[in-house]
Amino acid sequence: MQIELRTQVIEANRKTFAHLVERYGDRPASRYEEGSIGIQAEANFHYRPLWGPDKDIYSPDYSVLKLADPYSFTDPRQFYYAAYVTSRADMHESFGTTLAYLEKRDLFGRLPEAWKSLFQDVVLPFRHYEAAGEMICANACRFGWGTSTTQCFGYAAFDRIGNAQLLSRVGISFAGGTAESLGLAKTDWLEDAAFQGLRKHVEEMIVDRDWGTAMVALDVTDQLIYAMLFDKLDDAAITSGAGSYSLVAQHLSGWFADQRRWFDALYKAGVADPEYGAANVATLAAVVDKTLATAVAALTPIAAKGDALVGAGLGDVLAGAADGIRTKFAGLGITTEA
Amino acid sequence: MTIAPKAPRKLSMKDRYSALTRDLAWDPSYVTNEEMFPFTNFEGITIHDWSKWEDPFRLTVDAYTKYQAEKDKRLYAVLDGFAQSQGHLGLTDASYLNAMKLFIQGVSPLEYQAHRNFAYLARHLNGPGPRFAALCQSLDEIRHIQTEVHTLSNYNKLYTGFHSYVWQHDRVWYLSVPKSFFDDAVSAGPFEFLIAIGFSFEYLLTNLLFVPFMSGASFNGDLPTMTFGFSAQSDESRHMTLGLEAIKFLLEQDEKNVPLVQHWIDKWFWRGYRLLALVAQMLDYMLPRKVMSWKEAFDLYFEQQMLGGLFVDLAYYGITPPKFVEQAKEEKEYLSHQVYWTLYQFSHAASFTTSIPTDEHMEWLSANYPKFDELYKPLWEKEKRNVAAGGRHFDRGLPELCSVCQIPMLFTEPGDPTTICQRHSDFEGERFNFCSDGCKNIFDHEPEKYVQAWLPVHQIFQGNCGGASIPDVLAWYRMNPEDGGEYLGSTDHQNWLAWHDMAEKTGGN
Repeated sequence: MQIELRTQVIEANRKTFAHLVERYGDRPASRYEEGSIGIQAEANFHYRPLWGPDKDIYSPDYSVLKLADPYSFTDPRQFYYAAYVTSRADMHESFGTTLAYLEKRDLFGRLPEAWKSLFQDVVLPFRHYEAAGEMICANACRFGWGTSTTQCFGYAAFDRIGNAQLLSRVGISFAGGTAESLGLAKTDWLEDAAFQGLRKHVEEMIVDRDWGTAMVALDVTDQLIYAMLFDKLDDAAITSGAGSYSLVAQHLSGWFADQRRWFDALYKAGVADPEYGAANVATLAAVVDKTLATAVAALTPIAAKGDALVGAGLGDVLAGAADGIRTKFAGLGITTEA
Repeated sequence: MTIAPKAPRKLSMKDRYSALTRDLAWDPSYVTNEEMFPFTNFEGITIHDWSKWEDPFRLTVDAYTKYQAEKDKRLYAVLDGFAQSQGHLGLTDASYLNAMKLFIQGVSPLEYQAHRNFAYLARHLNGPGPRFAALCQSLDEIRHIQTEVHTLSNYNKLYTGFHSYVWQHDRVWYLSVPKSFFDDAVSAGPFEFLIAIGFSFEYLLTNLLFVPFMSGASFNGDLPTMTFGFSAQSDESRHMTLGLEAIKFLLEQDEKNVPLVQHWIDKWFWRGYRLLALVAQMLDYMLPRKVMSWKEAFDLYFEQQMLGGLFVDLAYYGITPPKFVEQAKEEKEYLSHQVYWTLYQFSHAASFTTSIPTDEHMEWLSANYPKFDELYKPLWEKEKRNVAAGGRHFDRGLPELCSVCQIPMLFTEPGDPTTICQRHSDFEGERFNFCSDGCKNIFDHEPEKYVQAWLPVHQIFQGNCGGASIPDVLAWYRMNPEDGGEYLGSTDHQNWLAWHDMAEKTGGN
């Protein structure tokens, strides 16, 4: 084998691609930047879609929420594909370790009965909610404007089906390797009165043709659900001898903390936008108001179902989370009604 | 005898996959099915039972991310090592990079488009099985654009022609060929897109597109691109099985689907084949070290594998080989020569360089193409004399473009490789010209679509491209003078010689 040592220095002629030099100045660009910023076509589309000839193939007009410069937002996680899958491989591996431990120690079997019921009747049906999240995010990935946002939406879509699979794997394990628990949870999602308000809300979010308002509605609903099911219940589980619930919940609350990083940055960019900021604030306020009203009403019977089982005060958590959401949006300059 | 109630059975791998994917979906009852899936009716495809979709692969999110993360770790290690060790100096020649310039300008943006539109399928197909498969492909496709850009980023730092690929893809005359191809697919309905891209592009023509580029890389010392190619291969094989399942599913669902699918196969074969004209000339002219001729590639990857294999299987459903395939077979003798001869004359308006084939190259062309000596060698011999007399030929006019494929009208009549083929149709009082019967056929089915095309030459004449003179247009294209034209004596060529000279003096290479 021939080993060559090259010692000469070759001066680069340019540090990166022209559109990045134009935006960021003459400096090397990161892999995130080279793989994201400006890579969506913005001009000279050849044909209008047969399924919607009123707009171009890509257009800022698929949502009322807009950024004058879509790349004023960048993902704080700097996720391009390789960074994304690496992060998610770690997340799922860590969950796999948890699940293996729970199975090995039969920790689901040793859950207090009420907590078993809570997982089966209250938490597991949310696998369908996560699957709805996948569809909403996939739509936003197609119809959004500019790769810094659509890329987050695409990864979020994959995250959501990942979450649905995570919950489902717990469900399969819970039922000794069978689909029995999943079947019961699906029946609850489809038929149990406590879930119908949420399912209606979810189906209506999915069919919203405006990807922006749909994403915000999903996020507001997420904020309520994750506060209720994975933050508050996590605490209650530990104090009630249901530590295995907490072991599962940590993976979902960990994911949601990651999700918040880019979503909150996107809200900030939307509010600060020099051209559309005011219009975005008005739209966001209206969507947050409407979603909080619908989602709190939809989640109340589910909280009551949980409280009847484990008395964790989920109804109060829900009301508190709604207030917290309003306060948080107010902090961004988005004032809601209640 | 009593039968004990059966305990629920542990899930098989297939059922487990189903529980983790399609079982997550439900039929909506608070909105209508039409509201939920607004785009799957207008094309006329009939699907009776979405559950009959056979999952072409079973990869859950945990397995997908683990596998892909490992692949990327290896790929990026190669990219970093190559950049650090000045690996570019080990290429066969700087002119090899013309193939990669064409790739980043013309192909990488298509990966991006696929990413976005597979996300559309991931939302808008009625069946949860194909939706999840489409979501995986959407992710794979953003992987491909990003890894390609990261692979070629190192060359961009040192060589011309790569720097403005995004801007140029949306504007430059020869890049409207790939752009309009994919815009055509993305603006179609979800089923046509499945046939156009999932089947025709990712299955029927994929080996003809990717193998030439990736083998070209491996033959010419381009380790990063070759590694990218290998790394993408397992993704591509999933895409191929998705495309094949898509066509089988549509054909099996209802007999009424057969003529629609046949028309899309006809259309997208020809559309894709015309796009591959750029690959044909790359293979025969741009690679300093040859892999195989276009003729051989077409014979192996299309005639043997597709016509001799796939279409034999599809005959069971009443599907016949694509219309105008005989024309493509005939053209394999002429295609690359006709295209490169045109690019050679217009490369002053391109982000790659061209040059007269060397004597050795010319011998290879003669040996591979029986008509070369008669039809094309005399052109190059004449041009050699022009160059010797100081008159390298550039065509200062603007070529007329085909209204469908957008390639200059350079192809010849069936059976007569010396007469330029011209077809036309009249629509709403205007005349539209085409390079071939295949393109005319596509136009005549959907004239209202193709009249919308953003034809670069028309746009220049309409004053939408920076001005009326060539320098004005090139400035608007963001092309620097060193990006195009003749390779010999170009900036890349001079740097290449200087770097190698330097390497010899310092004892490296």
